[in-house]
Amino acid sequence: MSDPHKPIQASEEISEFEVLELALRELAIEKGLFSAEDHRRFSEWAESIGPSNGSKMVAKAWTDPEFKKRLLENGTEASKEVGIDWTDPTGTGTPSDYTFFYVLENTPQVHNVIVCTLCSCYPRPVLGMSPDWYRTPNYRRRMVRRPREVLAEFGLHFPSDVEVRVHDSNQKSRFMVMPMRPEGTDGWTEEQLEKIVTRDTMIGVALPSADWDASKAPSAGGGK
Amino acid sequence: MTTADQARFQTLTDGLAKIAPAEHDVQDSPYTITNAQYDVLRHVLHDVGGQPALSVPYLEKGEEAWEMNTYVTCECLGWRGAWNSEMRRRAEVDLGETQYFGYPYYARWLTVAAKVMVDKGLIPLDELCDRIDQVRDRLQEERK
Amino acid sequence: MTPKFKVGDRVVVKDQTSLFHTRTQAFVRNQEGTVVEHRPDWVIPEDEAFDKLETGRKEPFYVVRFKQTDLWPRYTGFAVDTLETECAEGWLRPAGKNE
Repeated sequence: MSDPHKPIQASEEISEFEVLELALRELAIEKGLFSAEDHRRFSEWAESIGPSNGSKMVAKAWTDPEFKKRLLENGTEASKEVGIDWTDPTGTGTPSDYTFFYVLENTPQVHNVIVCTLCSCYPRPVLGMSPDWYRTPNYRRRMVRRPREVLAEFGLHFPSDVEVRVHDSNQKSRFMVMPMRPEGTDGWTEEQLEKIVTRDTMIGVALPSADWDASKAPSAGGGK
Repeated sequence: MTTADQARFQTLTDGLAKIAPAEHDVQDSPYTITNAQYDVLRHVLHDVGGQPALSVPYLEKGEEAWEMNTYVTCECLGWRGAWNSEMRRRAEVDLGETQYFGYPYYARWLTVAAKVMVDKGLIPLDELCDRIDQVRDRLQEERK
Repeated sequence: MTPKFKVGDRVVVKDQTSLFHTRTQAFVRNQEGTVVEHRPDWVIPEDEAFDKLETGRKEPFYVVRFKQTDLWPRYTGFAVDTLETECAEGWLRPAGKNE
């Protein structure tokens, strides 16, 4: 559905939003609401997060059944095993993401997909910044009520005996989907497996496939 | 239909939607409204799950610099206790339909960050407005 | 805090008036579902949103699962489909009773 090769372009004039943000930030720092160093440190963290964090988790779960058990039992704790600390960068977690992380396991009977109808809560520490479409009122309106239609637009179809389970992330929990390991990946290393676990497979709008590569969109991958 | 045909059809239907006849009720402080209309107006705005919506293309954009800065500024304000993120979400609801759905995503964040800081007395309103003018002038100078 | 509801309990989401702010969606009001998991005690959004993160009232929270065919008129998916969301204890009552 998404076309990553045609991003939306902003206009050339100096944006009033840029002006407001800078004015607000300068005043906030001057009045001691936070420090310039705080902003720098948080920015660094924000630049460092991305879907590869989640991919590592999924690839490890696919190859290490004990890790998978720990991940499903306590996502926040198990995240540390792949280097993700949900208390970063403040020491108590981020204000918007909290520290209650749950991994949803796809099975042959259940396909999980995530939405936040009320705003667009997203597991930033493990997946980075949310896709722009995920934040739209359109996605928020439709995914809870017409999940199979929206999934079909992403290229996914499930038979009538597979439960499509929508998670409306409306409180403090943050979710990530653990897709099933696709066919054609026998003997693959964790590194090879990581590469095919894209952002959208961990939201639940794509399935990983052995023949996905980086030239394709994050959602391309409806394969087994 | 070819892709070109589909595009022409979309342009046509988009244009037709704009000229479709409609009854437009101007809202300008009516004398009375029904309870049903009151329900509609006081619906907590961000609660959009299940409301009517048609299929639209889902696009990728990526954050511009001001958007990343907005995100970080908002989180830093939360980190150091000026507000929390549920206050941000509620303030976005308080914006009302026109601004909630009129602004891009991060513009909402930014607007309410400014609003709540002013509401709480942490940043005086006139200082904020002054600074906005100063920053605008400064950026225009820098980018001549 | 001892949670009032156990995993497996059938619960109904109350349809209290919501002014100004809520995290309990309109589409689950008066709907019956099943408690599938407990969540930690958290500050309720009605306090957190009004600047009471540290001092606000905490309640147990629950993951409640609903059948999509219960939630939506003319649901276009299949009967097996479900939706899960999280509810504060104060927003739930036991199914089969009127409080």
